[in-house]
Amino acid sequence: MADPRSGGSLRYSQDVAVEGMWHARIVRSPYAHARVVSIDGSALPENTVLLTPDDVADLSMYGCQIRDEAVLSRGEARFVGDPVAVVAAPTRRLADAALALVEVDYEELPAVFGIEDAVADGAVLVHERHHVSENDAAYFGIRPVDGSNVCHRFRIRHGDVEAGFAQADVVVEETFTTDGAAHVPMEPHATLARWTDDGRLEVWSGTQTPFNVRMDLAAIFGVDQSRVRVVCPPMGGSFGAKTFVRLEGLAAATARKAGRPIKMVLDRAEEWQTLNRHPSRITVRLGAKADGTLVAKTVTCHADTGAYADCGPGVAQKMGFAAPGPYRIPNVHVDSHCVYTNAPPNGAYRGYGQMQSIWASERTMDIMADRLGIDPLELRLKNLLREGDAYATGEVMHDVAFEECLRNAAEAIGWNEGREGKGLCVLMKGMQTPSRASVAVDALEDGTYRVRCATVEMGQGARYAIRTMAAELLGVGVDDVSFPDPDTDVSPYDTRTTSSRSTHMMSRALVEAVRNLREDGRTGVGEVADQGGLDPDTGQGIASSHWHQGAAGAVVEVDEETGSMKVRHVHASVYAGKVVVRAAAELQNEGSIIMGLGTSLFESIDFADGQVMNANLSDYNVPSITDLPRITHDLVEREGAPVHGLGETALPPIPAAIGNALQSFGIRPRSLPMTPERILDAIDERDAQAGTRELEAAE
Amino acid sequence: MTGAATHWHAPRSLREALDLREDYGDETVVVAGGTFLGVLINNGVLAPEAMLSLRDVPELRRIEIGRELTLGAMVTHREVENHPEVRRLWPALAHMFSLVASPRIRNRATVGGVLADADYASDPPSMLAALGARVVLEGPRGRRELPVEDFILGLYETAIGSDELLTSVVVPGGHEAAVYRKFRTRSHEDRPCVSVAAARHSGRLRVVVGAAAMQPQFFPDVCGMGASPREIADEYAGRIDALSDARGSAEYRRRVVAVEVRRAIEETHHG
Amino acid sequence: MNCTLHLNGTETALGVDGKDMLLNVLRDEVGLTSVRGTCGIGLCGTCTVIVDGQTTASCILPVGLADGKEVTTIEGVPSDDPVKVAFEKANAFQCGYCTPGMILTARAFLDENPDPTDDEIAEALAGNICRCGCYVKIADAVRLAAGMLRDEKVAA
Repeated sequence: MADPRSGGSLRYSQDVAVEGMWHARIVRSPYAHARVVSIDGSALPENTVLLTPDDVADLSMYGCQIRDEAVLSRGEARFVGDPVAVVAAPTRRLADAALALVEVDYEELPAVFGIEDAVADGAVLVHERHHVSENDAAYFGIRPVDGSNVCHRFRIRHGDVEAGFAQADVVVEETFTTDGAAHVPMEPHATLARWTDDGRLEVWSGTQTPFNVRMDLAAIFGVDQSRVRVVCPPMGGSFGAKTFVRLEGLAAATARKAGRPIKMVLDRAEEWQTLNRHPSRITVRLGAKADGTLVAKTVTCHADTGAYADCGPGVAQKMGFAAPGPYRIPNVHVDSHCVYTNAPPNGAYRGYGQMQSIWASERTMDIMADRLGIDPLELRLKNLLREGDAYATGEVMHDVAFEECLRNAAEAIGWNEGREGKGLCVLMKGMQTPSRASVAVDALEDGTYRVRCATVEMGQGARYAIRTMAAELLGVGVDDVSFPDPDTDVSPYDTRTTSSRSTHMMSRALVEAVRNLREDGRTGVGEVADQGGLDPDTGQGIASSHWHQGAAGAVVEVDEETGSMKVRHVHASVYAGKVVVRAAAELQNEGSIIMGLGTSLFESIDFADGQVMNANLSDYNVPSITDLPRITHDLVEREGAPVHGLGETALPPIPAAIGNALQSFGIRPRSLPMTPERILDAIDERDAQAGTRELEAAE
Repeated sequence: MTGAATHWHAPRSLREALDLREDYGDETVVVAGGTFLGVLINNGVLAPEAMLSLRDVPELRRIEIGRELTLGAMVTHREVENHPEVRRLWPALAHMFSLVASPRIRNRATVGGVLADADYASDPPSMLAALGARVVLEGPRGRRELPVEDFILGLYETAIGSDELLTSVVVPGGHEAAVYRKFRTRSHEDRPCVSVAAARHSGRLRVVVGAAAMQPQFFPDVCGMGASPREIADEYAGRIDALSDARGSAEYRRRVVAVEVRRAIEETHHG
Repeated sequence: MNCTLHLNGTETALGVDGKDMLLNVLRDEVGLTSVRGTCGIGLCGTCTVIVDGQTTASCILPVGLADGKEVTTIEGVPSDDPVKVAFEKANAFQCGYCTPGMILTARAFLDENPDPTDDEIAEALAGNICRCGCYVKIADAVRLAAGMLRDEKVAA
């Protein structure tokens, strides 16, 4: 049977259509912070509907972790692009035309941009108070600091860092930054909402989080969750962009006013105003003995979450708990903060905060190796976590594969044949914890089986992997197992399709579901729940019930006159435990590496006073096929090991591996992306320091 | 996207096209390959009430090769890039066209269109200017020719009169050497941060820098001073009023100009 | 204006505004959802169609310029076409959103260059973005398809 993808017949979220639907466009604030004085729709033709704040005054605030968002900003727009009204018309073209006819008066207010200004004394406050959400995405002890722009702070307190640094022979301290980045799923955000005759809300939406969306929609409209249905057609990519409530509240509120179904599909430029990746600033202080034994580490992280928290607190938390890195360090303090600014919201992005802290921490390892005069591979091997070691959170590590991955990466790039232009990185990355997954398997009358599962398909191949695992357990062919679109009315609860958890969690839930099906004959439901979580004040507990492990190596060349860098080869080694569908696992590895190359080399959102200056694919570049170096990778498997998630493990180590390859030339990049301009600055810095040293030697 | 349907003029001869242009002037938007125009319409920058399509004007599709190369305004980038004689006699020109955007865009983008758009980050203007190419404009007052560097007046601004059409570009032949260097800072598919075209004809050097400022940068007095490649490059870097965008800051661009101009001139010695 | 497209071998007469983009006409008027918009500036390749044998960005092609032309979308490529088959064999997609544009681009390219080098394959596909990052396997698919097409020719 031909694959619907090669024939073009696969229908995505944007292709969903129902009888009588209208199309809606969002009127957005042109100011980063402004009071909405008035909205005038008098120029609109007949056959249009205008949704204004008055129409949504009865609706509740929402937010998956902090309840800081309203359906349409209530009189106050907090970023360039903040929705202030919605217009709907019978066709997309008429809606486009109507959009231009809505007049809004604003009174501009002072705004705050960038982490430094947002945490400064007397900073403009984006929100006065921070209300923790009731949504089950707000599970981890959120610690907002009222009266500041910090909506969550997370700490790890492990050992005594002062005593640790006192033992150190060498201490290095560096500050690293990462720019904002866009997810750029090929299919834009798309949602259709309608109210049934009996007052139920039905939403078809490209989302990774159907149950979280249902929870927030129920809260917004003040109805029981059973009165809301969320269906998830396949997505043309997401990478974290399509998580939590995005267009669903706006579409539902407009449908309520219009009395008809409402479809919303974003324009490409609006993607940059919808959700991006957190810019970050991370300071690492690392102490080691002369023999390379790490003795103390402090990490201070700030993640810029933009004007609404979204899942920024969770991102800051994972940024924090990945910061110690896969090493035995007896004394570790981490302070991670999620900070509001008047930028578009930042949220989940493949790697979820951990790319940023891995970049900072693994770059610091090579700076330390240089200072100690120890080979960077040896320094890592000396300190790596091994089976049964405790991490900085106190949890004991099992099924550990860091060394194997790191050695594979080193070997692949020919580490022992000279290390000029070569760099390494090893990483650990957490999975959503705690979390719960359930799945149902039905025996159908025609002898085939149906999986009811809320895991969504966004290109990662989860449906095929889950069908494959079910078929194996059922002893039938994959084609005898169907997997309809996730639907909160019929799919059992699942936390969400994020953090590379679905194949791992569902592999376990399916065992029970199939066992129960055998007993019942018609239907079997399986459920697994992973406990855990961290004390937000000490960072002690279980950060992740299951750690993603991997390493990368890179080989680069630099044109030292222009700073232009050519990446020759990248290798990623990823611990898979057990591979379910080999081609899909390879595609996830390759895709992660390629996205990591974009992050490393040129992906950057260019802001000017909160306005995105490069909200199109000419001014914001993503990797094309001609940008690829030689790409190799390996999947580490072990006899009897469980299925490990691997949807994003190969992304976070790429930037640091490339940065460390530059370090081998004495070039010390500290900011992502490593543009030629920044590399040239780092070359100047190196040469200036060499000049100073020569002068000193001469004196 | 809205309002009344566009009036679509599709002349079938150059005479007819010139008459329509004279009659309607700038009220009617001239469309060649449509690649830039489509972007402007999608972005809502342009909502033309009438369009003058040059698609079916055969005179504008000619490639004529003699001592000089004449490219009709409607000749596509791909046609230049793949033309065996152009590749043999004007290899740098053919190579430069092959570096523009993707094959899909080059299939439609035209020689006349890219010059009339006068976008600072386009590849062809600097190369054509370095080769000493002339733009041919036709209108009710007849035919006139302008060097490319005089034709482009600024960003999106050219010397085309509201009753004129750009009908062809004439490129001199017989260069001793010509090179095009496209310096990118991001994706290989990105437009240039800085481009340098350099050509030698009858012993005379012409160096034109593209993408670094709002229009191609050419300093004949610097090229003619008989200085070393490094000196010329430093002079270019000093004189160019560079711009900043997502591809690089003004300061960075000046540094790249100093390197890339030197390398381009050196290549003309070796090429 | 009245516009006639020879769409996948069928003469299709449409009443359109000449400045409407071919992409919107194909999606909204003809109902071909295989032709997909992403960037709106001709850069990413998801909207690629073949017009008179040449790949074209339908998102920026005013439909007036397509009047009277042969337009081929993925529906016009038979399901046993070697390029389609090769993409499936090589697992050269994840979300599949860019796939029709990729296949059409590869199809037109292999017609021009039946025995390409790896660099030529990359240059040909450079303007087609796959954010899932399937490029390694897409290049495999095009190599595989080139071989299949050459074998077909030999057999014929």
